[in-house]
Amino acid sequence: MSNKEKYNKAFMESFSIEETVLGESLEYNTIPEWDSIGHMGLIAELEDAFEISMEMDDIIDFSSYKKGMELLSKYEITFEA
Amino acid sequence: MASLLDKPRLLKKLKSFHDYVRKNNGQIGTKQRGIDLNLNNACNLTCDYCFTNSPIGDHAKDTLPLDMVRSVADQADELGMFEFDLQGGELLLRPDYLFDALEAIRPERFYFYLTTNGYFLDEAMAKRLAEAKVSRVSVSIDSFDEGTHDKIRGRKESWRRAMDALKHVQNQGMDPYLNITVGHYNAFSEDIEMLCKYSDDQNYTTLLNVAVPSGMWLKLDKMAEVIVDEKDKERLIELRKRHKNILRNIWNPFDKNYEQVLGCNTVNRLYITPLGDVLVCPYVHVKIGNVFEQSLKEISEYGFRIKHFREHSPLCLAGENKEFISKYMSTEGQSIFNPSLAEDIFAKEDFV
Repeated sequence: MSNKEKYNKAFMESFSIEETVLGESLEYNTIPEWDSIGHMGLIAELEDAFEISMEMDDIIDFSSYKKGMELLSKYEITFEA
Repeated sequence: MASLLDKPRLLKKLKSFHDYVRKNNGQIGTKQRGIDLNLNNACNLTCDYCFTNSPIGDHAKDTLPLDMVRSVADQADELGMFEFDLQGGELLLRPDYLFDALEAIRPERFYFYLTTNGYFLDEAMAKRLAEAKVSRVSVSIDSFDEGTHDKIRGRKESWRRAMDALKHVQNQGMDPYLNITVGHYNAFSEDIEMLCKYSDDQNYTTLLNVAVPSGMWLKLDKMAEVIVDEKDKERLIELRKRHKNILRNIWNPFDKNYEQVLGCNTVNRLYITPLGDVLVCPYVHVKIGNVFEQSLKEISEYGFRIKHFREHSPLCLAGENKEFISKYMSTEGQSIFNPSLAEDIFAKEDFV
């Protein structure tokens, strides 16, 4: 599974949403599922999927689908274009 | 409204709580989550089942001094608690005191919420609360039928104002929680079904509180009608799975399968009265300390030495565990202002 697929799977499983919902417009609090509780679940899914432990500043900055991909590059996780 | 991402201190504590629960098989264990503070017990309504005896004016003039409110909030934050709930009585009877208390608590550190009957919560008040960094407002609704709710609450217009209040809360970007009390008397009613559907349709969160034989209901001696039975509990689980926006404090909010039970929250969420007495939860009127005499840390450590509160209980002790209720919650006159003392009612073997 590619990193992009792992990343998308974390979102889909955390929020029980379809792949079509994923994209640059997906931000924190723009769907009911991405609330404070959902955010914790998403971070946990990503930490498990990529075997990382995210720093608190990054968890705070993780405000959108797009921003999340940028932040994960700090953990040497890259996404193919 | 300040979202979670604008409250870094809260996020850090919530992450710690989430990680603890995850490592502890979805159970709350001895991880503390928050404070329920009864700021003042005066109320404008006279609900049949009030657990604080507000309808009889019990200690209506007592309030916790603001210095102590500040100290409690600081200690709770220090202990890693992420939730802070102000309740009454009715908080919006005294808005000046409420906003002074908010300043003392500093809601930016917490998932901070108010529990209110909504009677005085108009759009302007909702705006003020949102500006004060309140995250959520919980409003209790007793029935989808206006007349039934107003009868239970003892005041006309209370249903309409409560329903409007939830809308104002949502308009101002706070989390609207529609609280429903469910007991044996209504678990299978069409009313509950309609309330849950309405809350779901409006994108609110539904918080189910099981009816507890304490406060006014203790005096009415209606325990058999009040306590949910096995079939009622199955009904609640079915509602949880179907609606997905329904929470109970004993359920694991992080569980995506809507199945896991966090466990009873006694001592995990401390209830503090306007006199400073600390009870193990709002509904179990057992005192484990007083904030004027001990630190929250000392009180919590003492509370968790009592095995009933330390050990995992998949049942709400106050609303579902009949043995616990009859042994420890049935003392004549027991109330939030006249709690049983833990050292009196528990035997040596109850302590670990």
